Amino acid sequence: MRDDITQLREEAERDLRAARTPEALEELRLRYLGRRGKISAMFEELASMPPGERAAVGAALNEAQAFIKGQFETVKTQIALAGREAQLEAERIDVTLPGLRRALGRRHILNQSIQRVQDIFIRMGFELVEGTEIETDQYNFERLNIPRDHPARDDQDTFYITEELLLRTQTTAVDAHVLRERRPPMRILTAGRCYRRDVVDATHMPVFHQVDGFMVGEGITFADLKGTLAAFAREMFGPQTRTRFQPGYFPFTEPSAEVAVEYGDGWLELAGCGMFHPRVLEFAGIDPERCTAFAFGGFGDRPAMVRYGIPDIRLFWENDLRMLAQF
Amino acid sequence: MRVPLDWLRELVAIEVPPEALVQRLPMLGLGSEGIDRVGDEPVLDLETAANRPDLLSILGVAREIAAAWRLEVRPPAISLSEGPTPASDAADVTIEDPIWCPRYTAHVITGVRVGPSPAWMVRRLEAAGIRSVSNIVDVTNYVMLEQGEPLHAFDLDGLRGRRIEVRRARAGEPLVTLDGVARTLDPEMLVIADAARAVALAGVMGGGDSEISAGTTRVLLEAAAFDGAQVRRTSRRLGLRTESSVRFERGVDPRIVLDAARRAAALIVEVGGGEVLAGVIDRYPAPARAPQIALRLARIPRLLGVEVPADEVEAILRRLGCALEPASDGFTVTAPPGRLDLQREEDLIEEVARHYGYDRLPETTPVAATQAGSRAESLESQDAARDVLIRAGLSEAVTLSLISPGVFDRLGLPPEDGRRRAVTLLNPLLSDHTHLRTMILPGLLEATRVNLSRRIEDVHLFEIGRTFHLSVSAASSRRSAGTPSPPPEGPAGAAGIAERRTLGVAMRGRLRHGWNVGAEAAEITFFDLKGVLEALWSELRVAPETIAAEPAAHPWLHPGRSARLLLGGQEIGVLGELHPGAAQRFDLTGRVYAAEIDLDAILPHATLRRRFVPLPRHPAVERDLALFVPTAVPQSQVLHVIAEAGGTLLEAAELFDVYEGAQAPAGRRSLAYALRFRAADRTLTGDEVDGVMAAIHRALETELDARPRT
Repeated sequence: MRDDITQLREEAERDLRAARTPEALEELRLRYLGRRGKISAMFEELASMPPGERAAVGAALNEAQAFIKGQFETVKTQIALAGREAQLEAERIDVTLPGLRRALGRRHILNQSIQRVQDIFIRMGFELVEGTEIETDQYNFERLNIPRDHPARDDQDTFYITEELLLRTQTTAVDAHVLRERRPPMRILTAGRCYRRDVVDATHMPVFHQVDGFMVGEGITFADLKGTLAAFAREMFGPQTRTRFQPGYFPFTEPSAEVAVEYGDGWLELAGCGMFHPRVLEFAGIDPERCTAFAFGGFGDRPAMVRYGIPDIRLFWENDLRMLAQF
Repeated sequence: MRVPLDWLRELVAIEVPPEALVQRLPMLGLGSEGIDRVGDEPVLDLETAANRPDLLSILGVAREIAAAWRLEVRPPAISLSEGPTPASDAADVTIEDPIWCPRYTAHVITGVRVGPSPAWMVRRLEAAGIRSVSNIVDVTNYVMLEQGEPLHAFDLDGLRGRRIEVRRARAGEPLVTLDGVARTLDPEMLVIADAARAVALAGVMGGGDSEISAGTTRVLLEAAAFDGAQVRRTSRRLGLRTESSVRFERGVDPRIVLDAARRAAALIVEVGGGEVLAGVIDRYPAPARAPQIALRLARIPRLLGVEVPADEVEAILRRLGCALEPASDGFTVTAPPGRLDLQREEDLIEEVARHYGYDRLPETTPVAATQAGSRAESLESQDAARDVLIRAGLSEAVTLSLISPGVFDRLGLPPEDGRRRAVTLLNPLLSDHTHLRTMILPGLLEATRVNLSRRIEDVHLFEIGRTFHLSVSAASSRRSAGTPSPPPEGPAGAAGIAERRTLGVAMRGRLRHGWNVGAEAAEITFFDLKGVLEALWSELRVAPETIAAEPAAHPWLHPGRSARLLLGGQEIGVLGELHPGAAQRFDLTGRVYAAEIDLDAILPHATLRRRFVPLPRHPAVERDLALFVPTAVPQSQVLHVIAEAGGTLLEAAELFDVYEGAQAPAGRRSLAYALRFRAADRTLTGDEVDGVMAAIHRALETELDARPRT
């Protein structure tokens, strides 16, 4: 009987090693470990053995059973692993096929550009406010020291709605409102659409965008204006960026300047700027002896064209998704 | 302003090459268009500011250059020899409107011979861009270019009564101007008249009847100052812009008139012979006094941020021709003739800054207390809305706000539709841009068309921008058509115009891309658009009310696939499938889904400041609810009943199946919801949930005749 047990062990071990599929394994389980399997049969045989031998042979049989069970589990795991590997192999895909994509939206490049300008000034402590696109002649011109029949109005050919109402030609109109409604000190920023009766061509549209800001308080100087815009330019275009201030003319600033940054081989005109004309402050009820103010406006479509290498301003307004997707 | 270099060099000995000159001039505020050449002669093309009439003269440019390079100006020497007869015997001048004409001078030159100009004069005029006419006329132009004072030569024998009257035109008074155009004048225009009729438009253009002709022998030379605003109005009203009007508009100083007149009279004799009669007829009722401007030295650093030494201030202003008197705190400054732009202390400080050099001014950081930057709340919520739409896969478009009413025809709006009440421009430039938009959508549809025409078929666009509404007379019809009428504000409001922040959306094609994604299956539907909008409300946490959609017909939308959106019972927008007729008129193929939303009505309800809400600590119980519902009952009602009956324990009810067809009883459709129940303070028992489910079923049955699907 002991020999039989040893033989059974060896036989079972050999069979289990040869098993490759879950089905074959199940068959072996039934053959050896099943209720009618060989182990069970030997336990039945054991009952008919003399009691003196029974204990020792029983122990050997138990051990053989445990061994076979252990072998069975090992092989089962192996088969399962092999099966999974086979399945994984069968599930192989061509990872070079393109990914499936959802449409991604994006901000219009003009607004991205304006947003960047705004963010930098906001970090400098400016407060972004809003105005309306329909303005009065009063705020768009008169309060900015551009009376009717002033030749400076030539540069800003205006769409009128009524004798007094017009489409703002500059976001500076918003400055005139804020100056009147609030008291210094303040740092105000505004952005939006402006309108001029310009014939459409590669660099002109009747609708365009501006960012405009001013700082008013005691002791605000032209040097502060230069420092603020130079800091802006370094933030926007990189720490080495050089800025250039040249005299300009705007009826609402005195002194006036045009600011440009070195860009590529030339200069990129960014904005007009200057110290608010004392009359602009007086119109707003601010004493120009006590408070001074700098102001700037520009940074709109034209700088964005240069910066992003967009050759024709009309491309902004076409909304060709291939163009928008480039930014 | 075209400045021939040799002419400039006659007035100032500037030796630097023209290229170097043109490079430095912008640092003085004299922008340059570059260097032109007429023959061999370089001509500077300068851009001059609207407040600097003096820079529309070679002499003015020479003064500026002399100041910058520390040179002397050499104004032309004027030697005028006069004959014995007094000019006042030959002609007379009266000014009737001294406001519009503060000064009028007349020289009389007799015995001239009209003929061609000498070659040097012709060459200079042509280099400056003025065609030669005759020696007499050329002199007036030459001196205008040189001195900045427009002049006019009359044939004295063409002036009736040999007199000049400067007066307002009579209503309907005719005048044929030198350009051959017959014009009808009115009393808002100033004319030069003789005893009988208008002979010139003051400061703008002369008349044909009194012009210099080949036979002219006696010349009345006008040199005057006219009110800039008046000249500008007349010039604009007549659409007549001349070298003369451009200069008068900017302001010609009455103090420069006489020098220019004497220079021209002498030149006329030089090139045309004859004799200048004795004396000038000079009508100058209120001689202008140069303003005395107090310049406080302490004000300079307050404005510029840097101390400029007093001697440097003085030197700069003197070089520019100012007269300076020392004062206790600075100087009393008298501006030179021709510099009408110098009126206040700030004007002088700008002159100091320009010639001191903007590049020498320091860059400083404002000392004002630092403060945190911020955005207006309306802009913050607008940005938040924009971000949600972008995250939903839409691209932002920017379209023109100027439209023509043709877009309303293309949309198919009936004539009485309130959205046609667009604000009209008084002076449009193009027939395509005559009105302000009342809707964003037409611009987006046009952008969609552009993309489609370029074979870009998946187009998902939105735009947030201003729309403009005539609210007064339009209010009632517009309410029915869409946008609510806001309360009028400010002057625009008083004129019945409201400006609203509006969102437009246009979607077409697929949102998902890739191989094996069936084009049909991936094509978006009405519910993709609605999903985008729902994401917008929920991401903005529009509170406390929710936005409901209910069926509504709009002429530009598919009648069975359009809805209006309600917030607290107020209509805030519409969405739907574009009507095939409108799609066709916009050249759009396929189904296009569109929405137009009044953002100003929604954004104030957005919740931008967020607080953490604790995550649930007790498990949820989930149940499915499958119903057969009468087809006529809108889903929103079913959901509403479920929510009411579900009470506080019902956390969510999500529709997951809609079926209409043979498997459903006649007149019914199947709706299936996944319900989630949860209590904040305990684990719910199955019995509790069963109780609520029973209540939901009861309510559905009684209120909507909705039965459980079994």
